[in-house]
Amino acid sequence: MARTPAPARSALGAIVALALLLALWSGAAPAQSPAPSSETDIKAAFLYKFGDFVQWPPEAFAGEDRFVVGVMGADEIAEALERLVGERRVKGYPIAVRRLRPGDSLRGVHVLFVGSGESGRLAEILAAADAQPILAVTDSEAGLRAGSMINFVVENQRVRFDIALPPAERARLKISSRLLAVARKVIAS
Amino acid sequence: MNAAPRFPVRRKLLAVILAATAAALLVAIGAMVAYDLYLYRQSWINDLRTQADLLGRTSSAALTFDDPAAAQENLDLLRYRPRIRAAVIYDARGRRFASFAAPGAAPLPRLPGPEGVHVAGDHIVVFKRISNEREILGTVYLRADYRLYERLLGYLGIAAVVMGLAMAVAYLLSSRLRETFVRPLLAITAVASEVSERRNFSLRAEKLSEDEIGLLADSFNGMLAEIERMTRHLESSNAELAREVAERRRAEEEVLRLNAELEQRVRERTTQLEYTNAELEAFCYSVSHDLRAPLRSIDGFSQALIEDFPQHVPEEAKGYLARIRSATQRMGQLIEDLLNLSRVSRGELQRRDVDLGQIAQEVVAELRQREPQRKIEVSVWEGLKAHADARLMRAALENLIGNAWKFSSRTAEARIEIGALRDGEHATFFVRDNGAGFDMRYANKLFGAFQRLHGAGEFQGTGIGLATVQRIVHRHGGRIWADAQPGKGAVFYFTLGAPRAAGASELAA
Repeated sequence: MARTPAPARSALGAIVALALLLALWSGAAPAQSPAPSSETDIKAAFLYKFGDFVQWPPEAFAGEDRFVVGVMGADEIAEALERLVGERRVKGYPIAVRRLRPGDSLRGVHVLFVGSGESGRLAEILAAADAQPILAVTDSEAGLRAGSMINFVVENQRVRFDIALPPAERARLKISSRLLAVARKVIAS
Repeated sequence: MNAAPRFPVRRKLLAVILAATAAALLVAIGAMVAYDLYLYRQSWINDLRTQADLLGRTSSAALTFDDPAAAQENLDLLRYRPRIRAAVIYDARGRRFASFAAPGAAPLPRLPGPEGVHVAGDHIVVFKRISNEREILGTVYLRADYRLYERLLGYLGIAAVVMGLAMAVAYLLSSRLRETFVRPLLAITAVASEVSERRNFSLRAEKLSEDEIGLLADSFNGMLAEIERMTRHLESSNAELAREVAERRRAEEEVLRLNAELEQRVRERTTQLEYTNAELEAFCYSVSHDLRAPLRSIDGFSQALIEDFPQHVPEEAKGYLARIRSATQRMGQLIEDLLNLSRVSRGELQRRDVDLGQIAQEVVAELRQREPQRKIEVSVWEGLKAHADARLMRAALENLIGNAWKFSSRTAEARIEIGALRDGEHATFFVRDNGAGFDMRYANKLFGAFQRLHGAGEFQGTGIGLATVQRIVHRHGGRIWADAQPGKGAVFYFTLGAPRAAGASELAA
């Protein structure tokens, strides 16, 4: 039953593996920046990647043909997003980036990112989104306290995030335990 | 005969049982081990695949959000699976994202290999891609012990122990069980050899089981019973036979003794009879001879009276004289016949080849000469050859033909036929006439002397002729009989006993 692979076989295996990986990367390359190493890019990418780990109530996609990421007060993030999304899809929908100002309608928005540019009116903005099926993401120390669901933190030069479950529950969003597992801190209900 | 067999059934049975047990065990253990190893491999592969899948899933978020610490936490849980020796999570670019290695594990591969499971020597390696719905997030690498040989060795050890135990149990069981097979067989064998040695068929094998051996014992006993019965029967019939033989021998001796006695008596009687006969015949002859002289005187003087004194003798006296003469002539004839009869009995029988036909012709010629006025048709067959005494045959034929001649004298178209019927060597001669015949009721009186079936007035005769013929035929060892019907004639048949009597003649039809 057990067999020892011949050296030629393992060498061939390695070559095949390399070829396969190269093919995969080259396929993914056009949609991805060569080095998404900047903090902005990482945060932008996280915004749509959260979509894979969060479950929206069905009405959130009623009549929608896009996965809409609304960005408020963070133009560089919006730019990075626009650059990154390309052909990517979340939950089967193409991703649309929508730049918003406070007071704009949040209708059809699935993820709302409030950047540091709007830190002052954070509570007000989040209150407008409260109890709607919108994943609210912030990037400030007071984010979670102001009613945000996910808040970015930079720790050891890595972009991490904290999660608060009560507002998500109010918004009827279900956050995957796998996402919770990689969160730096989770505030439970 | 009673020597111990070279390969006793006992040992054979044991060998068979042990061999069967060993074979069954080997096959069973082999199949079980093969199946178990197959299952082991399959379940181990499935287990690793599942493990890899699980790791991929739990680490997908870590990969997505670039959190190696979370992935490392997942991998560190593998220390509770000691058989998993090493694990690596590579990111989408093939860089190690997190890794785990048990103490003493082989070096970790720098790059992920193609997806799949393969068994390499004593370990199993799994590469499993981690992906979300659209893109590859990374790869899980797992390396686990695959101790097939150890497992196999373990099984072999267990198999050896099980085999040893099973064989021991089989040995103990069989040594107990085989007795139930062997004992009835040995009992029969012992009885069989005793029977064949001592020829004692009254022995019986004990039936110790209700199986084929029991049946064998029954059949064997049945056979013995049959042999015993037959032996007894044979013995008794032998005794019977011996008794019968002895009895027969005694009877034979008795017969021989009686025969000897009888012969002795016959000899005595014969001698006596011969003596008496000779005396009687001599007497008869001399009497007959002596009687003729006075008769001749009576006849002669009666004739002289008639011839010498024709005038002195009255006619009436002549008539009386004629009657005296006729009576004396008849008496003379009677004496003649008696003499003939006695002559027939005396003297040696001189057989030679004679032609009875020729004798018959001569007799007929004499008769014709004596009575030329008789119109009678006589046919004599040809070839009536016989081996007999010519003188006596002539006397017999004179009597028989004479009778035919005489008893057909009143028949209109008288006919006499002399012939023979032949049956091979034997000839039956006959003399047939169509004369007066007789009633067959009196046939038994035909051949007695002085027996006459017809009155003297009807046909002349002395009543001695057929007695003479019978004596002649008897002297030749033959037989005589007659067939007749009153008014339709008579046939007299006779045979001449000697084998050569029928000689060289044929039936001339």
